[in-house]
Amino acid sequence: MSGYRFTLKQQPALRVDASALQPAALASLSLGEVEKLALPHGKDRLPVGELFTVQARDDGPLMLEGDLARFDRLGCGLAEGELHVRGSVGAYAGAGMTGGRLVVDADAGDLTGCAMRGGWLEVHGHVGDLAASALPGDMDGMRGGTLVVRGNAGARLADRMRRGTVVVFGDAGNFMASRMVAGTLALAGRCGTHAAYGMRRGSIVFAGSAPTLAPTFVPVDSNADVFWQLLARDLARFGGPFAGLAQRRVARHAGDLAVLGKGELLLPT
Amino acid sequence: MGLLELNGVLIDETFAEAFPMKATRIVVTAHNPTWAMHAAASATGFATSVIACGCEAAIERVLGADETPDGRPGVAILLFAMSGKELAKQVERRVGQCVLTCPTTAVFAGLAEGEAIALGKNLRFFGDGWQTSKVINGVRYWRVPTMDGEFVAQETTAVTKGVGGGNLLLLGGDTDAALAGAEAAVAAMRGVRNVIMPFPGGVVRSGSKVGSKYPALMASTNDAYCPSLIGLAPKTELTADIRCVMEIVIDGLTDVDVANAMRAGIAAIVDRGAAAGVKRISAGNYGGKLGPFHFHLHKLVPGAGA
Repeated sequence: MSGYRFTLKQQPALRVDASALQPAALASLSLGEVEKLALPHGKDRLPVGELFTVQARDDGPLMLEGDLARFDRLGCGLAEGELHVRGSVGAYAGAGMTGGRLVVDADAGDLTGCAMRGGWLEVHGHVGDLAASALPGDMDGMRGGTLVVRGNAGARLADRMRRGTVVVFGDAGNFMASRMVAGTLALAGRCGTHAAYGMRRGSIVFAGSAPTLAPTFVPVDSNADVFWQLLARDLARFGGPFAGLAQRRVARHAGDLAVLGKGELLLPT
Repeated sequence: MGLLELNGVLIDETFAEAFPMKATRIVVTAHNPTWAMHAAASATGFATSVIACGCEAAIERVLGADETPDGRPGVAILLFAMSGKELAKQVERRVGQCVLTCPTTAVFAGLAEGEAIALGKNLRFFGDGWQTSKVINGVRYWRVPTMDGEFVAQETTAVTKGVGGGNLLLLGGDTDAALAGAEAAVAAMRGVRNVIMPFPGGVVRSGSKVGSKYPALMASTNDAYCPSLIGLAPKTELTADIRCVMEIVIDGLTDVDVANAMRAGIAAIVDRGAAAGVKRISAGNYGGKLGPFHFHLHKLVPGAGA
């Protein structure tokens, strides 16, 4: 759709705000206009042409190649189109996305997918702290869409998350799903301490090892097979450790009773 | 009136007249087929005719565990009403009183496209604040705590345009013959997707005409097809050898579905032959004044093509 491939020439000296690199916006620009597009770099602005070698392409996603760990806000506010990064990205990747698709082949920094409202964000490496959480000062975290992390996630994953789906194939840090309002979080690996601290609603599936449960979660042994089948069959599309969830029985714990207590921890057995 | 004879069965040169309705399909699942059927039968009870039931509804077919969203046995139900508003009211009442109440059941939308009406959207309030919702792959479900665990209901189901009032009239020599023919026709028609035959056993013996000598009644007995009125009523469509008439009414999601069901029913009667007792097949219409869908019997007989 975008028709461009960006290849990083060299690491910028300072952090770059790359939120302007939107597939739909660039698709309407000529190669010359794209190269002149100025990106915030510290206090100044640098043209894209100084940072990247830009090649026009006929089709496919907007492709960015290189270690972009100093590039923040990549795909921030993405509404349509596809952005594919062959390398790592900085903070706020996919923040506030409402649609489209952002794929990061390596790692992503802090606040990845924070305040997301739609679309598909997939990180093949690790993500930093506060992924799928709220923007600083905001009341609500992720509000829609899907975040897939093939590696590990840092602390406060899905803090204040309200809607949408987060799937983590690796481990997660402390305070995972803290203050979660609603939504679905599926974790294949282990998690740190204080998981689901202050969780109000929502569902957390521990496809791997069970966490240490806070005493403010209570076991619920009643039949919830219908819901479990609906959820497990949907999670099966992510494959790997989630593919066989529907064939496993599940133990439920409700909480966090310190707050609303309508959340649930689902532990397949 | 021109007649076509196939295997001894006479087929009138006439048409069934059908009219547009609003329709939806819902899928009821349960812990086992028995309870799914209990819920479905209850939810489609007292739903033979929109004249007084509010909607026409029946079981479309039994679903295997591999066909339902939750992997449990299920039953597909079709409901038809004259307006989307009435259909929404009927769905809510019937699901609320007959599915929510039935042990182990869950309910899902059976159509994906169409205007959304509430399925579990309002029933959730039975949860008295303990209900929770979950959006899974873009679809919202409600979970209402019940004494056997929880009732799961998809938030909405879709309403589509349907076709109601397709029909066949089976004219037999006696009650045994007409009943057996009707049962055979209904059995064949139940193999057709997207249709229901809403009357008891799929068959109605009280076929009606529009209007009555009594102003308060909008429909009354179809005297032209009542064998007891041969020689008495001013007009009859029956010959002296016809002593029992059964009607099969068909509602379908499209006119093609209704035509397919009528085609299957006619074929079943023709296969049995006149010797089995059904001597003639006719259909009810109102001169084309009731509805825009006209199903001409001679176009639906075996060998007439699709």
